[in-house]
Amino acid sequence: MIAVQGEVVPPSTGGYRTQWDGHPKMALGMGGIKYNLKVGDPCFGWASGDHVEPGVTIRGREKENPSDCALAHLACIGNEAAVVDGDAKGSKGVFTGRHAGADDLVWLPGEDIEKLSIGDKVQVKSLGVGLKLLDYPDVRVNKCSPRLLDSLGIKEEGGVLLVPVVKEVPSFLMGSGIGFDTMTEPVDYDIQTTDPKAVKKYGLESLRLGDIVCLRDQLCINGRGYYKGAVTVGVVIHGSSDFSGHGPGVNPVLSTKDGRLGVELVKRANIADFWGLK
Amino acid sequence: MVKTNKDRLLEIAVVGEVVHSAVEPLYVTGWDGTPSMGLGRGGIVYNVKPGDPCFGWAWGDKVEPGVSADGTGNDGQKGSFRNFSCIGNQVKIMKGEAKGEAGVVVGKVGYLPGGAHHLVLHFEEKTLERVAIGDKVQVRSVGVGSEFPEHSGVRAVGLSPQLLDAMDLGEKGGKLTVSVTKVIPPEYVGQGSGGAPAESSNWDVMTQSPDAVEFLKDLRLGDIVCLRDILTAWGRGYYEGACTIGVVSCGASVRMGQGLGVTTILTCREGEVVPVVKRRANIAEYLKLGGG
Repeated sequence: MIAVQGEVVPPSTGGYRTQWDGHPKMALGMGGIKYNLKVGDPCFGWASGDHVEPGVTIRGREKENPSDCALAHLACIGNEAAVVDGDAKGSKGVFTGRHAGADDLVWLPGEDIEKLSIGDKVQVKSLGVGLKLLDYPDVRVNKCSPRLLDSLGIKEEGGVLLVPVVKEVPSFLMGSGIGFDTMTEPVDYDIQTTDPKAVKKYGLESLRLGDIVCLRDQLCINGRGYYKGAVTVGVVIHGSSDFSGHGPGVNPVLSTKDGRLGVELVKRANIADFWGLK
Repeated sequence: MVKTNKDRLLEIAVVGEVVHSAVEPLYVTGWDGTPSMGLGRGGIVYNVKPGDPCFGWAWGDKVEPGVSADGTGNDGQKGSFRNFSCIGNQVKIMKGEAKGEAGVVVGKVGYLPGGAHHLVLHFEEKTLERVAIGDKVQVRSVGVGSEFPEHSGVRAVGLSPQLLDAMDLGEKGGKLTVSVTKVIPPEYVGQGSGGAPAESSNWDVMTQSPDAVEFLKDLRLGDIVCLRDILTAWGRGYYEGACTIGVVSCGASVRMGQGLGVTTILTCREGEVVPVVKRRANIAEYLKLGGG
């Protein structure tokens, strides 16, 4: 267990950006402190929202690029986070995922978020890198704390791990983030939501932040990409998008190409429910 | 003859520099964990040309044929070089031993946001021998803004008049037909997704899964291909019924999610472009580059 640290950052803005259909958009919801958006909330439907990140967004500061910082590499979903300075000092929360652009995401209780300032330091007790399933050596475990692993409700059936998920996503819908790095830890990738027909056809509107999903024919052992027959299970860490190739981001937590990972579809499988995050 | 607005296109000089081979300080981690040293990205690659295979180069990773160059100066100047230059445009060497000699833009390859972007340039053998890393190159850019007035659903993406005139483009039943060597399914299309603008950089067709490698193995650099259900109008993404036509600009990769670079030249949302599979749809032939 190793301490890693980040700092609450201001919201990201960048003027108008062109949507998939050629219309301009002022995108809201990346970076900063979101008072009314938490894990468990919908991925879709936020006014002018794009890539909305639940809760509080922090970034590692010890290197120029947040993706090179220890926080990006070592913090795992489910790790304990604590505010270590400012008026909210002592507040305890949970690390809920990493958005590849730069942003590490933390849930904190609502009353503590009211006291939080941009610039406050948040420390995470990182634990999970190196986690292995001893009877399933082919299954890569990524960004997954022991707490998350225990919460997923995994069953073993005939030498196969069965993970409850809310959605199975076909491989051709996986977009931005593919190929971005040969490391798996610091990068999420997006379920594309810029084809309205596909959003409807695959029932993506019901996705919630924090949901556990299955990505078919996707392999995330050294990076992210297509591999026929592979299965990846991940956590939805940010919301939908109107920019071509983008959509709800997924941090892969379990992945294999060797047929030892299966899923069962359930109505609810979400980290907010697992840990009572409200 | 397909009607276009090519008499209204602006011709603009943009400047860049021949870049060094992009060698990374560490070993490249392949998709299966195998380390290697990726060769062939950037710099001057003497023995690979459009028309040559995409696969099979020893430790080759995203091999760019011929000479690679990038824009110089501030972000706006670099952006102009990357966005305005079009496949088929003429490039001239402005400084160095090969000063005054001309070549052709044959590809556009871009990596991560904020990362390197290369224009891939073809020169004749005798010129290639005299080009040096750091030489200044100037492209007479023309093609951005290309339109088909009678095919309003088709978006030309940096399609140069040179390539437009040379490639096999036709009309049938109110649609535009274009010769391609392969129609690639969307599940094979990887890095590049989410990137913008469409005019610079590229799509990657992933080359890790054995079924994809088998399907793609005979592709050649410079091939014109169709990416099915892929829209590249105002960025890059999946869209059922769409298609993207592009030129293969660089070779295969061992990195997960990466592979053959495809530079977009045409795209449509609702099937307004119809691909016709022909074995010899390659820019080496269209632009008479003499490779392969």
